[in-house]
Amino acid sequence: MKKLLSNLNHWKVDTISISLIFFLLTSSFVFAQTKIQGTVKDVSGMPLPGVNISVSGTKKTVSSDYDGKYSVEAPSDATLTFSEVGFTTRIIPVNGQTKINVILQISSEDLREVVVNIGYRTQKKKDLTGAVSTVKAKDFADTPQVSVDGLLQGRAAGVIVTNNSGQPGGSVSVKIRGITSLSGTNEPLYIVDGIPISGDATSRATGGTIVRGYVGGNSGSVATSPLNLINPNDIETMDILKDASATAIYGSRGANGVVIITTKSGKKGTGKLTYDTFLSTQNVTHLLKTMDLKQYAIQQNALANVYNVQPRSEFAVPDVLGAGTNWQDEIYKTAIMKSHQLSFSGAKDGNTYYLSGGYLDQEGIVVGSAFKRYNFDVKLESKVKDWLTMGANAAMGISDEDITLNGDSNGIISSTILSTPDVAVRNLDGTYAGPPKDGSQGSWINPVASALMNTNNLIKKSFSGNFYSTFRLAKGLEYRFDLGGSNIISDFEAFQPTYTWGVAVNKVNSLQKRSNSWYGLNVKNVISYKLATDSHKFSFLAGQEANDSHYHGNEQTIAGLLSNDIHSINLGDQNTLTASEYKGSSALYSFFGAFNYDFGDRYGLSLTMRADGSSNFAAENRWGYFPSYAGYWKLSNEPFMAGAKPYIDNIKIRLGYGESGNQNTTGTYNSNIRAIKSALGNFYTAANIANPDLKWETSEQTNLGLDFDLFNSKLAATIELYRKQSSGFLFALPLPSYITGLEGYQGGLEPPQVNLGSMRNQGIDATLTYTNKFTQDFSWNSTVIFTKNQNELMSLQGNFDLTKDAGVNGYTQKTVTKTIVGQAVGQFYGYETVGIIRTEEQLANAPIPFTGNKAVKSVLGDVEYVDQNKDGLIDEKDLTFIGNPHPDFTYGFNNTFKYKNFDFGIFLQGSQGNDVMNLTRRAATKNQKLYENQLAEAIDFWTVDNVNAKYPRPDGGDGHPNIAISDRYVEDGSILRVQEVKFAYSLPSDIISKAYLTKLRFYASVQNLYTFTKYTGYDPEVGSYNQDPLLAGIDSGRYPTNRTITFGMNVEF
Amino acid sequence: MKKYMINFKSLLVLVVFVLTATACNDEFLDRSSEDGYTSDAFYSSDEQVAATTYGMYGRMWAPFYTKCFYALTELSSGNCWGNADGNEVIQFKLTADSYILSDPWRSCFGVVAQANSLINDLQKNAKSTVSPAVVKSTIAEAHFFRAISYFYLVRLFGPVPIIEDNLALAKDPYVNTNRVEDVYTFILNDLKYAEANLPVKIRSRTPGLTNVGVSQGSAEAFLAKVYLYQKDYANAKLMAEKVINSGEFGLLPKYSDLFLTSKNNNEESIYSWQWAGASVNEYQAGNFSNIQYGLDILNDRASYGATYVPTNDIQNAFEQNDLRRQESYMIYGDYYPNLKGDGKVGFLLDKALYPNVLDGTGAAVKKYVVGQETGETGAPDGWGGMSNCNYIMRYADVLLIHAEAIMGSAAETNDPVAKISFNKVRERAGLPALDVNTPITHKGLIHERRVEFAFEGDYWFDLGRIPRSEAIALISEQDRGADYEGVKHYTPVETDFIFPKPAIDVRKNPKLKEAPVPYVFK
Repeated sequence: MKKLLSNLNHWKVDTISISLIFFLLTSSFVFAQTKIQGTVKDVSGMPLPGVNISVSGTKKTVSSDYDGKYSVEAPSDATLTFSEVGFTTRIIPVNGQTKINVILQISSEDLREVVVNIGYRTQKKKDLTGAVSTVKAKDFADTPQVSVDGLLQGRAAGVIVTNNSGQPGGSVSVKIRGITSLSGTNEPLYIVDGIPISGDATSRATGGTIVRGYVGGNSGSVATSPLNLINPNDIETMDILKDASATAIYGSRGANGVVIITTKSGKKGTGKLTYDTFLSTQNVTHLLKTMDLKQYAIQQNALANVYNVQPRSEFAVPDVLGAGTNWQDEIYKTAIMKSHQLSFSGAKDGNTYYLSGGYLDQEGIVVGSAFKRYNFDVKLESKVKDWLTMGANAAMGISDEDITLNGDSNGIISSTILSTPDVAVRNLDGTYAGPPKDGSQGSWINPVASALMNTNNLIKKSFSGNFYSTFRLAKGLEYRFDLGGSNIISDFEAFQPTYTWGVAVNKVNSLQKRSNSWYGLNVKNVISYKLATDSHKFSFLAGQEANDSHYHGNEQTIAGLLSNDIHSINLGDQNTLTASEYKGSSALYSFFGAFNYDFGDRYGLSLTMRADGSSNFAAENRWGYFPSYAGYWKLSNEPFMAGAKPYIDNIKIRLGYGESGNQNTTGTYNSNIRAIKSALGNFYTAANIANPDLKWETSEQTNLGLDFDLFNSKLAATIELYRKQSSGFLFALPLPSYITGLEGYQGGLEPPQVNLGSMRNQGIDATLTYTNKFTQDFSWNSTVIFTKNQNELMSLQGNFDLTKDAGVNGYTQKTVTKTIVGQAVGQFYGYETVGIIRTEEQLANAPIPFTGNKAVKSVLGDVEYVDQNKDGLIDEKDLTFIGNPHPDFTYGFNNTFKYKNFDFGIFLQGSQGNDVMNLTRRAATKNQKLYENQLAEAIDFWTVDNVNAKYPRPDGGDGHPNIAISDRYVEDGSILRVQEVKFAYSLPSDIISKAYLTKLRFYASVQNLYTFTKYTGYDPEVGSYNQDPLLAGIDSGRYPTNRTITFGMNVEF
Repeated sequence: MKKYMINFKSLLVLVVFVLTATACNDEFLDRSSEDGYTSDAFYSSDEQVAATTYGMYGRMWAPFYTKCFYALTELSSGNCWGNADGNEVIQFKLTADSYILSDPWRSCFGVVAQANSLINDLQKNAKSTVSPAVVKSTIAEAHFFRAISYFYLVRLFGPVPIIEDNLALAKDPYVNTNRVEDVYTFILNDLKYAEANLPVKIRSRTPGLTNVGVSQGSAEAFLAKVYLYQKDYANAKLMAEKVINSGEFGLLPKYSDLFLTSKNNNEESIYSWQWAGASVNEYQAGNFSNIQYGLDILNDRASYGATYVPTNDIQNAFEQNDLRRQESYMIYGDYYPNLKGDGKVGFLLDKALYPNVLDGTGAAVKKYVVGQETGETGAPDGWGGMSNCNYIMRYADVLLIHAEAIMGSAAETNDPVAKISFNKVRERAGLPALDVNTPITHKGLIHERRVEFAFEGDYWFDLGRIPRSEAIALISEQDRGADYEGVKHYTPVETDFIFPKPAIDVRKNPKLKEAPVPYVFK
C-alpha cells in the first residue's frame, strides 16, 4: 500500500490531472488509517500556516494551510509532531481522535529564530554580530516589481534604493550605507544561491556598455539592470550584509555591501503546486504643462521681435489657433503588464525540489518601450547517504527589452517637451511629420516617430547553475564542495530607418549589432565544524574559493540596407560594414575563515579573515587581507535581568569592526597600445597612462548595534550606528585634458586608475516593528525604517578637483557637480542667483559677466549672479555649491492590517532634504531658440513691457550667462510617496477545500498612488545617470515613474 | 562512526587534492591583454613603428576638424555665416563652455601627448629588429606634429602650457601657461629638429600615397610660416627660398584640380590631413566638409548640409574673372561638370529647381565639397564623411610667405623676386600679374591670401598676426549677417583675437587663466 501511495505520489509529478490525485489522497480507501483534521494556531489565536505535521513511525509529513488547517492520515496509535521555526514543537498522541486542534507557543528562547545567510554559512538571527537586514518573500508579496533590487526600496534600513528610470527593465541604484567609491559603480555584490553577480548595470568590468545611442540623436541613460533577469517570485529571502564585520568574509568585493539572495526551495510536506498571476495597468502620473499652439505662437512672435527676424505669417493671429499637438499625450500611453508563474515544490524521502516557470510581459508607458522575461528555475537537493547531501540548481532567464533612450538632454522624454505644437504627429497621408522646413536645424525630431521607428532592442540570456555536495565527516564536522557557473549573453540591435520627418531626413538606414558574452566559473571548498556544550558553542569555518571569468564582445555596423523591414547585416551595403571586438578575462583567488564563539547565550564573538588575490592588480599589489572582529552581549539573558522577562524578551548589544575591499577596476596597471583605424590604415597609440602601483581600495567599518524585543515581542527594534571609511578608493585620475587629450578611442591617453582618496560614511539605520492582535479577528503589523547617512570626502590625492559634466544639448557639456574634500560627493555646482535685473540702479551695481574672453555688461532683464569673490566680475571663480543631491534621511512605513480573511496594506516611503537639478526645466524655459517648444510658464520672460517677468530676457547666443547652471534650476527633491496600497482576500479554507485547493487569494494594489513633493518635474526620484555617483539627482529628462494598478491571484493546490 | 572515519580519510585526500590542484599560482592571476598589445611588447618591426604616426596625418585631428576648425577660423574671420549655429562666434560672444573650444584644445593636446610618448619612449622601447632610420624619422615626425599642434594652440588660445612629459605631469598636473614667445621658441625648436631628422624627398608629380609623409621640406615650409608670424622676415625668406629652390613642391597647374579627391596628395601638398570615406566607416574618420559646406542635394547621407555659407563680404572679395571664385563658392547658374548633385553627374545650381537652398547669403561653399558619390569621390561613410584631403599647408602658401617676407614690415614692395612668387599665385587664378610698376601692398597681399585660401581655415590667423587696429578695422567693415537679417556689423575688441581656454580645464586648473610664466627649456 505504501508503495502504491508512493508511486502515486511520484506519478503525480507528471500528471496534469491534479484533481484525481486529490481524490486519491483524500479518499478513504486506506483502511488502516484514520483521517485527522484540525487547525494550528498561535497563542493569540492566529492561524499558523506552513506548520510541519509529521506522523511518527512513517515518513509522512504534511503542512498546515493558509488558515492553519491540516488533514493527515495516521494510524490511531501514532503520534503527531507539530513543528515550526520560532515555535515550541509539540508532540501529540492521536489516541483515536479525528480532530486535533493545536496551539503552538512562541519558543521561549526567541521568537525570531530566523536563520540568516551571512556568507558561506548561516546563523540564527539572534546570534548575529554584524548588521544584517533581511527582506523575505512575504514582505513583497502582492507587489508587482519587475526587478529584485527594486524590492529593497523602503524595506531595509540603511539601504537606499532609487529607480534610475521608470523604463521597463531600467536600472536601479542600490546604495548600502552610502557611496563608498567614486569609480563607476557603488552597487552591492549580489550572491544568488552562491553565485556572485555584479550589480553594475554598465558592465564596466566586463568590457563596457553594450547599449549605446546613435551618434547625435536621442541618446541617454542606457544602463539596464543586471538583476532584471531574476524573477522576484522565485526569491525566498534577501539577506543584506551591511557592515564590514559581516561583509569582510566577501573581502575584496564587499565594500559596497553584499545582498545574499536565496531562492525558494522545496519545503517539507506534500508537494505544492502554486500559480501566481497578476495584471497591471500603468500610467504616467502627471504631465508637464507645455505651451499649446496659441501660447507657442505668442512666444514665437515675441522671440522673433527680440531677435529682429520676421515673425511667421501663420502665427499672425494667435487667437484663431487651436491647441495643436501635445506631444506628451502622444508619447505616453496606458501600459499593460502581465505576469504568470507556476511553481511546484515539496520534499519527500530526503529529496527536496522546487521547479518554477515564469513569464512577464510589461509594456512601457512611453510608446515603443517594453520588457518581456521568461524564467525557469530548478532546485534539487537529495540526502544521498546519511553523511552525504548533494544538490544542484539551475536557473535560466531570457529577457527582451525594447529600450526608449531617455535621461539625456536629447532623449525621447526631453524632445517630447521641446517638440512644437504646430506640427502634427502625422501628415495627412499617414507618414510622420517633423519640424518645418524653415525651422532651425536639430532642435528636435518627431519623438513619436523616433520612439516607434528606431529600434533599440536588447536580448539578454542568462544561465547559471551550481552543484554542491556536503559531506558529514563527523559529528559537527562538514565539508562542502561547490562548483558553479553562470553566463550572460547580451545581444543589442539598433536600427535607424530612412525617414523624412519634416526637415529631419535620414537618407540611409543603418544597423548596429552588439554582442557581449560573459561567463564565470566559481569553485569553493569549505570545511566547517560546530561544537556545542551546555554553555559553550563554537563554530569554525575555513574555505578556499576561485573565480575565473571571461568576457568577449563584438560590434558590427552596416548602412544602406535594402529596406527598413528586415534588419540583417546581410542586407546592407557591404562597403559600409565595420566590425570590432574586445575580450578579456579576470580571476580572483581567495582563502577565508570564520570563527564564532558563544558563552552561555550571553557573550558572543565572531572573527573572520579573508585573503584575496586579484588579477586586476600588478603582481606585487595583488593580495589583499580583510579581517573582521565582532561581538555581542545579550543583556536580557543575564541572570539579573530575569525579573524583566515578562516585558523584555531580548536585548542585545553588538559591536563590530571589519575591513572589506573593492577591486572593481580593469587591468590598467599595464601600459597598453591601442589600434585605431584611419585613412592610412591602423595606427597604434599609447592607450593609457599606466599605474603599476594601483592597490586595493579598502573600507574600514565600525558598527554598534542594539536589538530589542519587548512585550512578548510585540515591539521589536534594531538600531545601528556605523562609521565606514574607505581609503584609496579607485578612480580614473581626473586629469585636465591638456594632459590626456582626446578620448581613448580618438587617440588620447586614458588617465591612470589610482587610489584617489578617502571617504567617510556615517549614520544610523533603525527598524522598528510593532505587531499586535487586538481581537480574535484583527491584527496590525507595522514596520518603520529610518536611514540617515552622511557622506564626506576626507582626502583626495593631490587635491584634485572632481567636476562632472552633463550634456545640456546634443554637443554641449556643462559642469553640474563638484566634489571637494570636506563635503559629500557630487554637490551641485554653479552660480548663485540674486534675481533678474529690473532697475537701472540694480544694473549699475550688478557684477559684470566675464565668461568668454571679455567682460560683457548685463542689460535690464538679465540674471544677476552673486559675485562670490567680490571682484566685480562673474566668472568661474564665482561658481559655488548650489545644492546637495543626498537626502538628510530616508524612511519607510509599512502597515499590514488583517481582519478575518482580509488583508489591507499601506506602504509609505520618503526621502527628505535632497535637491534635484532640473535640467529639463532649464531646457524648457530657456527661450533661446525659435522653432522649439517650451513650458507654458516660459512665456513670462522679461521685456520692456513685462518687467516683472519670472524669466530673464531671451538671448540667442550663449553670450550672457542667463541660462548658466545656477540655483535657478535646483529644486527641493524631498518626497513622501504612497508607494503601495493593497487589499487582499483569501477564501476560507472550508470553501476552497471543496475545490481541492489549499489557498486561493485575490489581491489588488496600487503602486505609486500619490507623491507629495514640491518638485516641478515629472518625478524627483531621478537616481544616478548610468549609476554614476557624481551625477546623482540630475534630471535631464528621465523616464517618469508610473502609477501601477494591479490585480492578482495566488492559487495553491 | 566507523563509516565516518573511512570517509573522512578518503575525503581528506580529496580535500588535499582539490586544494593543491586549484592552489593559487601567479599564472591563474596573470591576465594580460587579450585584444591588444602592451607597450613593452609592441615596437618590434619597422611597420609597427611607422604605423604609430598615421593618426597624426588626420584622424586624431578629427574632433578639431569636423566642425570647430571652420567655426573658429571661417566664422570668426567673417568668411562664413552660420545658418543654425555659430552666432556666438560671429558676434564675438563665445563663452568658455563651448565645445567649439574644447574639441580643438583636446585634439591638439592629444597629438602632443602621443608625440611626447614617441619622443620620450620610442628609442627605449623599440626592439633591435627595428631599423634605426625608422626610429629616427618617426621621432622626427613626432616633433613635427607637436609643432603643428602648438602652432594651432598658440594662435587659438595664446599662452598655453608647454608639455614635454605627460607621465610626469600626471603626477603634478596644475601647471601654469607659458609665454607666447616661449611657445613659439618651442615650436621652432621642434621644427628645426624635424628639419634635421626627417627624410629628404621630392614630391612625386603623380598624386598618391608616397606624397603623404612629411619631409625636411615640410618642416622648412612651416619654419618659414612660423618665422613670418614671429616677424623674423629674414629667416622666413631664407626658409621659403630653401623650399622654393629645392623643387620638392610645385603649384598644381589648375586651381580647380586642387580639390579633387583624385588629386589627394599632389605636389602642392606640404602637409594634408588624410580622410577615409566608406573604407574605414567610423565616426570622424572621414572629411565632413561635404556636409558642413555642401548643400543637401550634394550629399548622399546627411540631411542638413551647408551649415556654414559664404558671407556677402567674402563673395565681394573675389575680383572679376578670378578662376578661384567658382571653385571657392557657388551661386545660382554655376555649373560643375564633375560634381554629382541631386542624383546627376554634372551639377547645375538652377534657381528654378532649387529655389530656397541659397536663402542665407545667396551662395554656398564649393571648396572641399565633392558632391554625391562618383567614381572620382569614392563612397561616403555612414555619416556622410568623404575621402578628400584637406590642406594644412600647400605650396601657394610658401610663395605668398616668400613675397611677404621680402616685403617685411613695409607697406609695399616692388621687389621683383617677391613679385615672381606673388604673380605665380595670381596667374594660376587667371588674374593679371602685377607689372613692374605696381607694387605688392601689404593690404593686397593679405587680401590675396584671403581669397587664395578662402574656407581653408587660415584667414583668421592672418587677421590675428597683422596689427590689431588693422584687423579690427577690416572686421568691423564686414557684413557678417544673412540676407534676411540685413547688413550686420560686429566689431571685435583686442581680446577677441584669442579664444578663452575651455572651461572644462580652467575649472580643474584655474592657473590657466593666470599670467603666463617663462618656460624653462631643457
